[in-house]
This record gives sequence, C-alpha cells and structure tokens, in this order.
Amino acid sequence: MAVNKARLLVVDDSASVVSSLCKILDVSGYQVDPAYSGSDALRRLHQNQYDIVICDIDMPELTGLGFLQKISRDFRDEVAVILMTGFLDQECFINAIRLGAADFIRKPIDTKQLICSIEHILNKRKIKDEYHEFQRYLNTADLSFTIMPVNFSKSNLFNALSSFLRHNFKIDQQVLNEVLLCMDEMVYNAFIHGTLKLEQHERWLDNHTFQNLVATKFNDAATASKRIRLRVVINPDRDQMVIEVTDEGDGFDYENILQKVKSEPDLSLVAHGRGITLLRHLSQAVEFDNGGRTVRIIKKLTNGEDPRIADI
Amino acid sequence: MNIELNIDKSVATMKIEGVLNSENSYILQEKLTEVLRSDATLLELDLAECRNISSTGIGKILLFFKDFIGKNGEIEVVRCSNSVYELFTMLKLNQLFTVNFG
Repeated sequence: MAVNKARLLVVDDSASVVSSLCKILDVSGYQVDPAYSGSDALRRLHQNQYDIVICDIDMPELTGLGFLQKISRDFRDEVAVILMTGFLDQECFINAIRLGAADFIRKPIDTKQLICSIEHILNKRKIKDEYHEFQRYLNTADLSFTIMPVNFSKSNLFNALSSFLRHNFKIDQQVLNEVLLCMDEMVYNAFIHGTLKLEQHERWLDNHTFQNLVATKFNDAATASKRIRLRVVINPDRDQMVIEVTDEGDGFDYENILQKVKSEPDLSLVAHGRGITLLRHLSQAVEFDNGGRTVRIIKKLTNGEDPRIADI
Repeated sequence: MNIELNIDKSVATMKIEGVLNSENSYILQEKLTEVLRSDATLLELDLAECRNISSTGIGKILLFFKDFIGKNGEIEVVRCSNSVYELFTMLKLNQLFTVNFG
C-alpha cells in the first residue's frame, strides 16, 4: 500500500484498460481519475493538480506524443508522464525522451512494474521538492573548507563552488568569474608562499620541473602537514560575499605591500603585489590579518558600478 | 581554457579562450616558450574570448615580454574582452604594448 496519496490520471482510448488500471491503482492507495482521450486528459489537467499521468501512446486525434508535447509546454516539470505502449520504435522513443517522458511501460501492463515506476517518480519528486524548499529559505551560506595542499586540486573545489553559487544564489556569470579568479589568486598564494615558501624564480620554472620541485617540497613532513583554510560567506541581503583564505606560513609585511600597491597601482615588470593589485581591482575591499597569513576580500554579488574601482 | 597558436614566419598569432588562472597558466607558458624559440618577432594576442586572467597569467605574459623585447620582439593585443581590457588598463600594461578593445 503506498503511503503517499498521490493523484494520478490514467489516459487511454480503451475504456476497459482505463477501468482496470484505475481499479488496481486505487487499491494500491493512489487517488486516480480516468480520461478517455488526450483532450479529455488536458481538460482534467487544467481543472485538477496531478502528480503523474499514465498515458497510452497510440490514441486517435491527440496521440500520446502530441499530448506529451502540450503537457511539457503548459505544465513543464509539474506533471510526470509515463507512456504506455505495445510497441515502441526508436524514433518515437527519442521524441518521447526529448519531450520529457518520465518512463515507459509495455502493454499488457505489468502492475508491479507500473507501481515501481510510479514510486520511483514520486521519490525523485519528493527529493526535488525538499531541495526547492531548502533553496527558498536559504538566506545566507557560511562554508568552510580545510584543504590539504599535498593532493589539492583547485579545479574540483572551484567547480563545486561555482555550481553551488550559480544554482542557489543566481549570481551573474561575470561576477562569478571574478569570484573564482579571486579565490584562485588567494588559494594559489597560500599554496606557493604560505605552504611551499617558493622563491620567485622557482615559480617560473617549466611545468615539469615545477611539479618535481613541489613533490620534493612535500617530502618534508612539516610542509606536508600544513593546511589551507578557505571560508566563503554569502549574504544576498547585504549584496556581498566574503572570501577568506588562511595559510600556515610565516606571513609577510602586508602593510608595506598594501601601501606600495595603493601608491603605485601599475604592475610594470615587478612581481611583488601583482596578486593584491588584481584582488583590489576585482573586489570592493582587501584586508589582511594574522600577520599576513589571512587574506580576506569583500565582493559585491551584483554587477553594479563601483566608485572605488573607477578611482583605481 | 583553450589556446590556439599559429606561427607564420615572423608573425605568431595566439587566441586564448576562457579564464586563464593559476592552474592552467603553465599551458600559456609552454605556448609562449614556443613563440620565443621561433623566428617570430610579432605576437598578436586575440583575447576577445578570454574572460579573465589571474596574476600568474599576467606574470607569464610579462616574463615572456621581457625576453621577447630582448630579441626585438613586439606584442600586440589585437582583440580584447571587456574584463581583460579593464584589467590591462588598470595594470597599465597598455603602456608596454598596444591593447585594442573589441
């Protein structure tokens, strides 16, 4: 017996098929209504809210595929459609998938298989609804990551964060690119300076030599045990995001470099301060703490004009 | 990120697409080394599809620039996205080589 009293609509031009399916599904605990044509089903769909429509493909006038097309246009993801058929050719199958059919059931109907399909769709719907509910009330997010630099791939973390930010906070693509570039800048600095303590010339080695050097550095237990901490706080109400990166290095004289960056914002060929200049360009504020081991930026979530950036 | 490089005698053309960050900037370094080892004396950079460049990427370009002018080479950014143009102007890289917008 199904726990969830889901509402189903059975559509077939054969009255006997509709009648028997309705009886079976009713006994199985669902609330079921009959429809004897595609047009009849559409009328009912506009009057009532259904979770799933179980529909024959081969019907006169409005066929199952035509019906599916109208449903995907008018109801999008609200209603799932299970198509019933005695024979399904490849082209029809591809069209049905493109139109968003949730499942296919072969005629004569195997009741167990049909109920299994219904329950599978209802479970997926429940998870999706719960996630949408979570998103509705998601106001702020405070995410913390402790990264082991020895086997760290930034791209995996950044891809996951990018997807999370795009889906949950609807951040503009350009702002998102800038956020990811700032994170890359901050974490990479924590990696090469705070963790590996690389000299400037070592950073410009060819990739193969550089990777060997990094591997050698991690042979040292003290280096390998270092961690990088990344914290991302998103607050849409304040239209801002705070990104904070902390390393376990020796820190640096950030006041001197900040002063230099403010007074000479051009990079020319000098490497020192290039990353900080870029962070200043891409964010609204750059702050240091903890002797230079912690860097924090504040970034607007919307892409409005910022007078501070124009002044730089 | 994708980099296309063509070298035709004294002119090298390089088209960069996507975001140039610390993780992929070694690819840029390899391509620039290829230019440096060739007979090219003009590098035309097409950055119209390049959405942004990290400081590591900028560093690779500047390092190359230093070596390239040593062999009488010249860089010209022939096309540039809005974000990269802003970045290059802010960093005053347009004082080192020609940066065209669009």
